[in-house]
Formats: sequence, structure tokens, C-alpha cells
Amino acid sequence: MQSPFNGLRNVALAAAVILAAATAAYAHHGWSWTEDGFFELRGKITAIYIGNPHATLDVDAEGEVWRVEMAPPSRTIAAGFTEEVAKVGDEVTAIGNRSLDENEKRMKAVRVIVGGKTYDVYPDRVPPA
Amino acid sequence: MDEFLAGIEQLAFVRGLKASFVAYPIVNALHIMSIGALLTSVWLMDLRVLGAFRSLPQAAFVALLRRTALSAFAGALVTGTLLFSVRASEYAAMPVFLTKMTLILLAGANFLVFLRRVKGGDEPAGGTVTTLAVLSLVLWTSVLFAGRFIGFLN
Repeated sequence: MQSPFNGLRNVALAAAVILAAATAAYAHHGWSWTEDGFFELRGKITAIYIGNPHATLDVDAEGEVWRVEMAPPSRTIAAGFTEEVAKVGDEVTAIGNRSLDENEKRMKAVRVIVGGKTYDVYPDRVPPA
Repeated sequence: MDEFLAGIEQLAFVRGLKASFVAYPIVNALHIMSIGALLTSVWLMDLRVLGAFRSLPQAAFVALLRRTALSAFAGALVTGTLLFSVRASEYAAMPVFLTKMTLILLAGANFLVFLRRVKGGDEPAGGTVTTLAVLSLVLWTSVLFAGRFIGFLN
């Protein structure tokens, strides 16, 4: 009978390859994937999602659609930003940190301004006044 | 298809889950529990088929773990469907999500082929059975990795 542990070696190899691929990618959780400096995006809202696992806005800025990530829904709603305060087509300003990848139209907002009102979804991270 | 996915998102209990501060993390935790049990059963079962833990009788060991794995898969299926439902159209458009679903189908097909090859008993692992067990380990582990990536790429 052939040694079954030749098979196990193959499994270990496959696992190592998958793990290497995993560490090469970066996460959208947390802030590790964003630039340090503040970034401001202005545009029109094309989609609103206030819900789990985290709230997002899609914003059309000069013909390019950006994905603006906000806090988890509990935190976003606690900041006053609900589905009632904004609608598709509204002008929005999002202040936060954009992706380190310049080709990626994605940012994480700490402050969202819509309809003349300011919502600090990450109050502890907003730029100093 | 788009309307069907949008319809899922509008179901009353799905809308509740989407906005819930408690239910969603609980469903998420139960999904992790299910996939943990599933992956553990699959690994132990396949390692036994490949010749590890020879002191344990293969038929009884595999039968127990197969029951565990099937229950765990059922749990993962229910909780996974709930997690999917809150943003169904978004997830359905993600290549990594579709990759995960394809991997699950392949792993399921591999399981069915394995069932046809092995009729129980303590028979030693043959060439085909060894290949199927290794394939099972690779496929289920890949399902886990693909699943984890969904949370980081959407």
C-alpha cells in the first residue's frame, strides 16, 4: 500500500500557498488599508445601505462611483445618520481616509455632511476643528 | 434574478436582521461555530481515511464524524443564508462569493463520489480513496478561506 502521507504533504503545500495569498491581500476591516491623511469626497449619493455588517454609501463624484464605508449600523445610527436623513440624489461630502490603493475608489468616512447637517460616524477620529 | 435578490433583502425578518444590534452578531457567531465543527470533522475524518489514528476503528470513527459534519453543514447553510440575505445582490455579484459557492458544490460532489467508493469497514485506504480524501481537505479548507475573504473584499 502506498504511503498516505504523500497526500498529507500535498495538503500542507496547498495550505501554505493559500495562506501566502491570504497575507498578501489587505483587509477592509479597521484602518490598515487606508491612507493616514484626511481625504474629502464630494458627489451625489447613488445608493445608501444602513445595516450589518457595516453601513455604506455609493457616491458619484465627477462620473466616478466611490464606495464610502461608514461604521457598523449601531454606531452609524448613534451618530444620527439613518436611512431617513439622506436619499439617493442628495449632495454629500464625506471626510475620512481613502484606500492606499490609488486605483481603488473606496474610502472610510469619519464624517459625513448631507443636507447641511454633519454626522460624525467616528467621532474620535474626526479632524481637529 | 436581480428582482429575486432584491426581494430577499425586503423580507421582514431580513430587514430586522439587517438593522439588529444583537441578532446579526449571534447569527455570525453561530456560522463560525458551524464551520469550525464542519472543518474539524472533515479534517479528522479525512486524516483517518488517509491512515492517521489507526488505533481508532475507522467505521465507527468516520460514522460519528460524518454525522457531526452533516449537522454542522446544515447549521452553516442556515446561518450563511441569513448572513447572505441582508445584502443578497451585493454578495451575489462578488467573484469571491461565487468562488466559495462553486467550491462547496465541488466539495459536495467529491463527498458523493467518496460515498460510492467506500462501503464502510476497516479496509485500508486505496489510491482513489486517498485522492478523494486529500481533495476533500483541500476543497473544504479553500471554502473556509474564500468565505473569510468575503468579509474583507465587499
